[in-house]
Amino acid sequence: MNDKNSQKIVDIIQNWARKHSIWVLAYGTGCGAIEIPPTMTSRYDAERLGVRGAATPRQADVLLISGYLTVKTIKRVIRVYEQMQDPKYVIGFGSCTINGGMYYDSYNTINVLDRYLPVDVYINGCMPRPEAVLSGFAQLQKRIAAGRATGAQHYKENLEWYRANQKKIIPNWVMPDYNW
Amino acid sequence: MNELKEVIIKRIKANFADAAERNDFKDNRLDIAVKKETIPSILFYLKDEMGFIHLSDIICVDWLEEGELEVVFILWSPVDKIKVFVRTRLDRDNPVMDNVDMIWRQANTYEREMREMFGVQFTGLVAPDEFILEDWQGPPPFRRDFDTAAYAEKTFWQRPGREDAQDVRETIAKRDGEEIPDFAKKYSR
Amino acid sequence: MREKATTLYIGPQHPGITGNMMVKVKVEGDTIVKARTEVGYLHRAFEKLQESRNWLQSFTLLCRFCVPEPDPVEESYARAVELLEGREVPERAKYIRVLMLELARMGAYMLWFGGQNASLGLYTMGQWSVGDRNYILDLFEELTGGRIYHMYIWPGGVRRDLPEGFADKVLRTMDYLEKRLKDYDDLMFENTIFQKRTQGVGVISKEKAVEWGVVGPVLRGCGIKSDIRIDDPYEVYDKLDFIVPTHEGGDIWSRALVRRQEIRQSIRIIRQVIEKMPSGEYYNRIPNPFKWTLPKGDAYARTESVRGEVGMYIVSDGSTHPRRTHFRGAAYVHGITLLENILVGENVADVSAIMNSLGVCPPEIER
Repeated sequence: MNDKNSQKIVDIIQNWARKHSIWVLAYGTGCGAIEIPPTMTSRYDAERLGVRGAATPRQADVLLISGYLTVKTIKRVIRVYEQMQDPKYVIGFGSCTINGGMYYDSYNTINVLDRYLPVDVYINGCMPRPEAVLSGFAQLQKRIAAGRATGAQHYKENLEWYRANQKKIIPNWVMPDYNW
Repeated sequence: MNELKEVIIKRIKANFADAAERNDFKDNRLDIAVKKETIPSILFYLKDEMGFIHLSDIICVDWLEEGELEVVFILWSPVDKIKVFVRTRLDRDNPVMDNVDMIWRQANTYEREMREMFGVQFTGLVAPDEFILEDWQGPPPFRRDFDTAAYAEKTFWQRPGREDAQDVRETIAKRDGEEIPDFAKKYSR
Repeated sequence: MREKATTLYIGPQHPGITGNMMVKVKVEGDTIVKARTEVGYLHRAFEKLQESRNWLQSFTLLCRFCVPEPDPVEESYARAVELLEGREVPERAKYIRVLMLELARMGAYMLWFGGQNASLGLYTMGQWSVGDRNYILDLFEELTGGRIYHMYIWPGGVRRDLPEGFADKVLRTMDYLEKRLKDYDDLMFENTIFQKRTQGVGVISKEKAVEWGVVGPVLRGCGIKSDIRIDDPYEVYDKLDFIVPTHEGGDIWSRALVRRQEIRQSIRIIRQVIEKMPSGEYYNRIPNPFKWTLPKGDAYARTESVRGEVGMYIVSDGSTHPRRTHFRGAAYVHGITLLENILVGENVADVSAIMNSLGVCPPEIER
């Protein structure tokens, strides 16, 4: 039963099940958290795609980084990301995660999220409309179905590179060097 | 309103000899400059006996060229409906001032922020050291001689800009094997 | 036998807190003994960034100070710049500004309904009120182009005139929302569970309110009538007819009642504005923004927002860039010293309800 074809069938069914039930962690890290309630309520209903909120990292599938990240927050976000269990994805929301946005010259916000956490899908805008959020989730679903949402795998394989970048901006590193 | 302002200014000047008044602005307010040692007593007097019970704001301004830091208190009287600005100057190399949070409790938060962002020391302030910044090892960041753009350039990795003028949507569509719909094509370059 | 005290971190990632901040509480059993807040997770150093942008460019940063309701901040900045320079604003622009402020006030109150009830477990209210708020955001989108961040009220007036047919759309939305208020009453205010969970919780007495510098609906819920729109009127509020509701009690229940009645007053104000709006200019043009300098001096202007007093202080030294700007939000006072004081003696299950009712919004605290 372990030949390549049956493995492919198992993958297809597994990805189909995963893409229709994406639970978002309830963590509003920045400005973008204000467009999430309209996306989840009746007009732009996101629950028809299977997207709903989850209360703790252990129960969540996707970490929605909504906006800019300060140095103090990214220390907590890394811990939360490593507490989430596989399969997990990261969505970068807003233009501040792409290249710094309008706070590019602030001494407290990071500019490119990709160097510190593996990102699967970016949604650009300032702020993105609820339709753009739904389109971002649909894009994530396509990537899951094609088997290409491998951010978590990339993080585990290149852990030293990510850790070196994280330690460069966080002065007081209190977390272990291994991945949870 | 002008007679009311005259009365208040006369009473303040009678009690505090070193209160200097400024008159060169267009909005309806009183403006007094005092030395830093008089600050607790004049604020107490304004709150208890003149009716300015509401503290609106406390601000610190950095005058780098004159070598001084200026602290401004903005008070409001709900009964007389008038604002007063109380100013004082501190030496920039060693800014020390008295603590006023026994007069208004919320001044504790303003003083914590000024201590962290400008380096002003308040004698008698009881509060944890870190307020907004965590593990910050540089100089007080809101002073004029701290260049925030240079610091951001050095510490955080910047994404380089694109050198060519290709349309991002076409690249993504080609990579994913999709087609851009017809109505969107007329906006492509 | 006394129980040992445990420390709980109601931390940055929590479904019950109103934003990205941490409240560290020490509990004995179920009762809170000591509380400390920790902020700084959202600090972007706005005031430092504004010093490297000129007077008009720094206006684009301002909306992000208070995320649910960005218009009072723009209004404070515009009025402070006009005070400093002595610029006149045309009459029609003043009426349009009042319209925008009242619509933003209603939208923020509806979002607040969702948050306050979700902290008690009534999730239906959030679905209704956030869904109805979308109609107000549609009006904003037609007028300014953006749902959340408008950048519409700027020094000298407003950015563009009302389009045709806009006044009818506003009046139809107001009729619809007025009918919905009765549904909100049935679900929320006549609900026994809501009443039992909010009466007597998070009480602030009158003396404490004055001593700790409380402003806004929290002060009006303690029985003191204080509102910047009648104490220190700005724009055309002195020509409009509205009351300022107050309630005795000082607990979460009276603050919720005050907010509910202010929605009704906002609908009344908007109808009067549409009726009385004059025609004329909507903008007093500023010169070339790259060469626009303001005279030396400073100015302070404040506006009544959903949470209380929102003030902006600007200092100019005669150049094209601001010397120093400072923003004062109501959550700065409510969220740190007052919250740490009120939480002592309360049940740990009520922390979320108290934070929602005080209107603690972390982007305003640490800017």
